[in-house]
Amino acid sequence: MSGYLTFRIIKGAFVVVLISLLTFVVMRIMPGDPVYLLLGEGQIPISDAQIAAIRAKWGLDRPLHEQYLVWAGNLFRGDFGTSLIRPGVPVRHMIFEAIPVTATLNFYALVLAIAVAIPFGIAAAVRRNSIVDYASNVVSALGIATPNFWLALMLIVVFALYLRWLPPFGLRSWQGYILPVIVIATEEMAVLMRITRGAVLELLPQDFVRTARSKGLSERAVLYRHVVSNTMLPVITVIGFRVAFILSGTIIVETVFALPGIGRLFVDSVLRLDYQVVQSLVVVFALLVVVVNLLTDMVYAFVDPRIRIST
Amino acid sequence: MSDSNFAQTLRRSADRRSFFRTVLAMAVAVVFGASSVAWAQGTDGGTLVWLGHQEVAGLGPNDIGPDVQAAVIFNILNPLVHVNHLTETEGVLARSWDVTDDGLTYTFELEEGVVFHDGSEFTADDVKYTYEFYAQPGNTIASRFNGMREVEVVDAHTVRVHMDSVNAAFLRVAGEVPIVPSDYHAEVGDDGFRTAPIGTGAFRLEEWRPAEFTQLVAFPEHFRGAPLVERLRLEVVPEASVRYIALLTGDAHATVWPISVEDSLELDADPDFRMVATNWNSPRFIPLNNEVPQLSDRRVRQAMLHAIDRQRIIDDLEAGFGVVATSHLAPHNSFYNPDVPLYPYDPERARELLEEAGWTVGSDGIRVKDGQRLTFTTTTISGDQQRRPMAELAQIFLREVGVDMQLAEAPVASILQGLREGTLEASLFNWTHGSTTDPSPTSTLYSTGGDNFTRYNNPEMDGLIDEGLGLVAEEARRPIYDRTQELFAEDVPALYLHFNQGVLVFSNAMQGLPDEILSSTPLFYRAHEYSLD
Repeated sequence: MSGYLTFRIIKGAFVVVLISLLTFVVMRIMPGDPVYLLLGEGQIPISDAQIAAIRAKWGLDRPLHEQYLVWAGNLFRGDFGTSLIRPGVPVRHMIFEAIPVTATLNFYALVLAIAVAIPFGIAAAVRRNSIVDYASNVVSALGIATPNFWLALMLIVVFALYLRWLPPFGLRSWQGYILPVIVIATEEMAVLMRITRGAVLELLPQDFVRTARSKGLSERAVLYRHVVSNTMLPVITVIGFRVAFILSGTIIVETVFALPGIGRLFVDSVLRLDYQVVQSLVVVFALLVVVVNLLTDMVYAFVDPRIRIST
Repeated sequence: MSDSNFAQTLRRSADRRSFFRTVLAMAVAVVFGASSVAWAQGTDGGTLVWLGHQEVAGLGPNDIGPDVQAAVIFNILNPLVHVNHLTETEGVLARSWDVTDDGLTYTFELEEGVVFHDGSEFTADDVKYTYEFYAQPGNTIASRFNGMREVEVVDAHTVRVHMDSVNAAFLRVAGEVPIVPSDYHAEVGDDGFRTAPIGTGAFRLEEWRPAEFTQLVAFPEHFRGAPLVERLRLEVVPEASVRYIALLTGDAHATVWPISVEDSLELDADPDFRMVATNWNSPRFIPLNNEVPQLSDRRVRQAMLHAIDRQRIIDDLEAGFGVVATSHLAPHNSFYNPDVPLYPYDPERARELLEEAGWTVGSDGIRVKDGQRLTFTTTTISGDQQRRPMAELAQIFLREVGVDMQLAEAPVASILQGLREGTLEASLFNWTHGSTTDPSPTSTLYSTGGDNFTRYNNPEMDGLIDEGLGLVAEEARRPIYDRTQELFAEDVPALYLHFNQGVLVFSNAMQGLPDEILSSTPLFYRAHEYSLD
């Protein structure tokens, strides 16, 4: 077990280093120059000396490998550097400010999605081809097919503009979380519902279910004790997957509802070519995905004793 | 759902709404206890709420470029002068000013009895410190001080700026740099200052969350009088349609960054709102790389201008808010030359010019010359939903006369670099070619200009620009810029489409806006004059 862990951790570290290198290279290959972006609208002529001075201030005049080593070395010591666009503000600060927003959104969305999707997914499988099944099918198909920016705007129009129950944007109060959580949960719910239904359907004809039934257990007991506990495996996989999608999945929701989360920080930084922030964010997320993957595998072993970890 | 049904739902919802409100209010009161009480007490004059579209990255003089940042910064810090909503130079910390005839010495008389937010007094030393600090290369705004040699403190309330060379725009460009308190700035440095600014403005910084909101609170000792509202809050709302809804719900009183023209017109019809349309200084234009062989003949470029129905673009895509460009300066510019010939929409004339230049129609309808097809690519800014349709319409017009314009998209940073390095053929955006502050198209039309996106190279233009920059008096400069506009229209280095109007919407709950408005951005620099209904 500990040998396996060490192996996984070394492998994970290797992945993170590789990703940091890739991101660094991609950001530099990307056409465009952050200095020009900063100087902006061209009302006033800018001399080459000024551009050189700004570049030197940011350390962009040094050779590429040196820039990478400086950055990676600092990162290793936990120093993310300072933002190019928000001068003087440490990147760590920006990331730690944005993470709670995105984490809160996704946590509640996941809870909501699980609370709705699992019971309905199970019901749909057990009462296959019933009204419940058709309804859950339609709902999950709609959930997957509805673009989240559209759903978000419709919810704002209904709940903020017509009913005036909720604020149209922002996080001035906890009510600000309600609409974005619903939007994120809708998509997750749709996916989870289908997966739960599929997993249960696969289990129902299995031998152990037949055995349980022939033992004389009630249908309820068969379902809860034997079937549902076994559907947890695919569900955990999906939840682990979602973590990797947080960065991409909440960008639109954060933009529409004007929430200062990690997705918006990422997009803003890419558009403004804020190398420091983009690189650091990617490394943080690579780390997160590696850790979550590891955790998911550990949870597998915990939930399903048949899975034995070996090197 | 029919109308009556909907009304019923609304009525029913009103009862439920009040029930929910009560429950929520109780919950909030329990959770936030004392803090919510403090919030309610602090709002005598109310909170003025404005909306921006992008984060407020910093709050120092180096950050005044983007409109959204300027709207906050100029209420915390004050410059010597502002170019105001009537495009006039208005004194702020400068009571009066004087320029010598040779344009080499500026003398400013400063307001007396002005204090910074920390209680220290504003004097000429602060001006000297600010100007000399921000003129150093490495500052984003350093080029505003081009030509400046030194700042002399004559007495506590008089400063004199000595120039090495004439910079006709100095008063309006350098004069608008906000003044920082020298002791505090020297202590915390510029990076420290832009995150915790102290100024002479009517508001001081209370809370700053760059990507979320910036909140200011009234500074009653402000030298022009205490502001009428208690707080000013700028919220960052990237999505234009959500800004529109926030105006409708009363969650905001104005948007610093526009919403769509359609939504603006809708609000204009509502008596609770006022729409303000103002002219932009920068044309919407298609910069053409003049070094690309198929675009190097000016007859081809002239033909393309004749081929595009520019009024139709304004009517169909700008809801009529714009005026066809005749040259590089906007019609509201005091240096505008009304006698430059216009290129009317005339596809026949376009075909003649192309034939004259030797381009004949090939088998697929696209013109050919010596085996070279008349084709080029216009790269628009990724996600630019406003201007991309203009490129599409132009594409159709050009196809009519046998010119094939392909479309592509790229991020703005790579477009600017591609044009500067000559690796792109064309694009479509707005860029100032001389403003109301200074008519000289130095950076865009000079052969070595930093923003010479068209790779334009005409020695006569270079000579005119050099000559114009050396002159101070407006009458002496006028014939020079009359000629730059003629020359620009003869050479057509870029397909200049039109000068669009910017449209902003203000809620009438925000009172105190001036009646006449020629420029809307400076409206946000005078928050202390506005009150809430």
